[in-house]
Amino acid sequence: MATHDFRAQESANKGKTYFLLASMGLLTGLVAYAALTYFGAGTSTFMVPIAVGISLIGVWGSYYGSDKLVITMTGAKVIQREDNPELFNVIEEVVIASGLPMPKVAIVVDSAPNAFATGRDPDHALIAFTTRILEIMDRDELQGVIAHELSHVANRDTLVSAVAATTAGAIAILSDFLMRMMWFGGGRRDRNSNANPIMLVVSLFVLILAPIAATLLKSAISRRRESLADATAVSFTRNPAGLRKALEVLAADSTVVHQKSNAVAHIWIESPLDGKAVSKMFSTHPPIQERIATLRAMESLGQRN
Amino acid sequence: MEIIIVLGVIALVVLFFVAQYNRLIRLNISVDEAWAQIEVQLKRRADLIPNLVETVKGYAAHEQSTFDAVVTARAKATTASTVADTAAADGMLTQALRGLLAVAEAYPDLKASANFISLQEELATTENKVAFSRQFYNDNVRNLNTAVKTIPTSFFAGFAKVTEREFYEVEDPQSRNAPKVTF
Repeated sequence: MATHDFRAQESANKGKTYFLLASMGLLTGLVAYAALTYFGAGTSTFMVPIAVGISLIGVWGSYYGSDKLVITMTGAKVIQREDNPELFNVIEEVVIASGLPMPKVAIVVDSAPNAFATGRDPDHALIAFTTRILEIMDRDELQGVIAHELSHVANRDTLVSAVAATTAGAIAILSDFLMRMMWFGGGRRDRNSNANPIMLVVSLFVLILAPIAATLLKSAISRRRESLADATAVSFTRNPAGLRKALEVLAADSTVVHQKSNAVAHIWIESPLDGKAVSKMFSTHPPIQERIATLRAMESLGQRN
Repeated sequence: MEIIIVLGVIALVVLFFVAQYNRLIRLNISVDEAWAQIEVQLKRRADLIPNLVETVKGYAAHEQSTFDAVVTARAKATTASTVADTAAADGMLTQALRGLLAVAEAYPDLKASANFISLQEELATTENKVAFSRQFYNDNVRNLNTAVKTIPTSFFAGFAKVTEREFYEVEDPQSRNAPKVTF
């Protein structure tokens, strides 16, 4: 029964995130090592820092300015209390439950129900809702969605995904560099002729597969953070049913509205997720049915007590 | 060489003591802050009540006993000072308000009035805020009490003058947010 407790869920998801981030670090080391074997020390010693540097600059800017960046990318409008007092009431409730500072609130005009959270730390957090989600959700469901988004803020998911994106980016840049050099600068390899041929083949494989592995790890991390946010949301509201119903509404809706709002959804799903350090709700894995099942298990646990 | 090792060990021990002490103080302060939040929300609710009662009276003047119950409970809630008293008064007031809203159900004109609708929303959100601040307070008390009772922080509780704190318990079977969580 312990596995359905939200506290157990939280710590399990946190543990898995650490494991995945460690794997990411290991992968970076592996790529650096492969580069070292394949190209020799001269090339690799300046390539690795350059790749990490480029990736860091790229991701860090978007992490630091994530709240402002996302507003421009999604066309979200920051609103004040007077614009939607009822929404603010529900947000304030969850803010009290979480002990977090009040985030900025934004609205996106869109026919698909959705929400996201961003910002580099709880003091610069922004949570945004589409006009549609505010229309179709009742108070309890909205509370669940807000709790999920504030959980991303509480769990520092913008930072986690920024770290994941930086490493994945560095690996991609590095293996891209090295692959190009392999085709156009093959001569360099000869200097290193005493290297073990098996190691050379292994290194080649590492360089080819590393970007794919990094992308896989990145999405695995994102999935863990979604599950974690669900569990943290329940720790805020103590009402798994609210979030569960909200997920059911979204699951039912996406099959209907998806085609109609494809163009808009594309901007939302793609640009925020493309390493721009945004935790976007309900579009990616884990499968929504699985999340609903987990929340249902928490509900039955609550009734038994 | 030995001197350096000895000094290093002493420094580590001191750092460890400081960390434990600070942890207890921090936990104690978060309980105070959480308590302040409860008081803010209870005050908010108390401030809403006169307006609500007046509005309902305008449509349902003869429901005097219901109004009296609310006014009495409000008076108790605003004078309570200890955790247990505040919690008891809070529970009573919640019940009384529920009675008042149940009365309102019988008056369609009242239910349709804009003033009542906005008051009802304010009251609903304030009730939730009270419940959540209570939950947040209890979570903080639980963290503090665990620290006071478990090693190593328990060794420093006396020195830091930090003791176990009282949970905020409301007798209300209907309260959805009652933090009844097993481990």
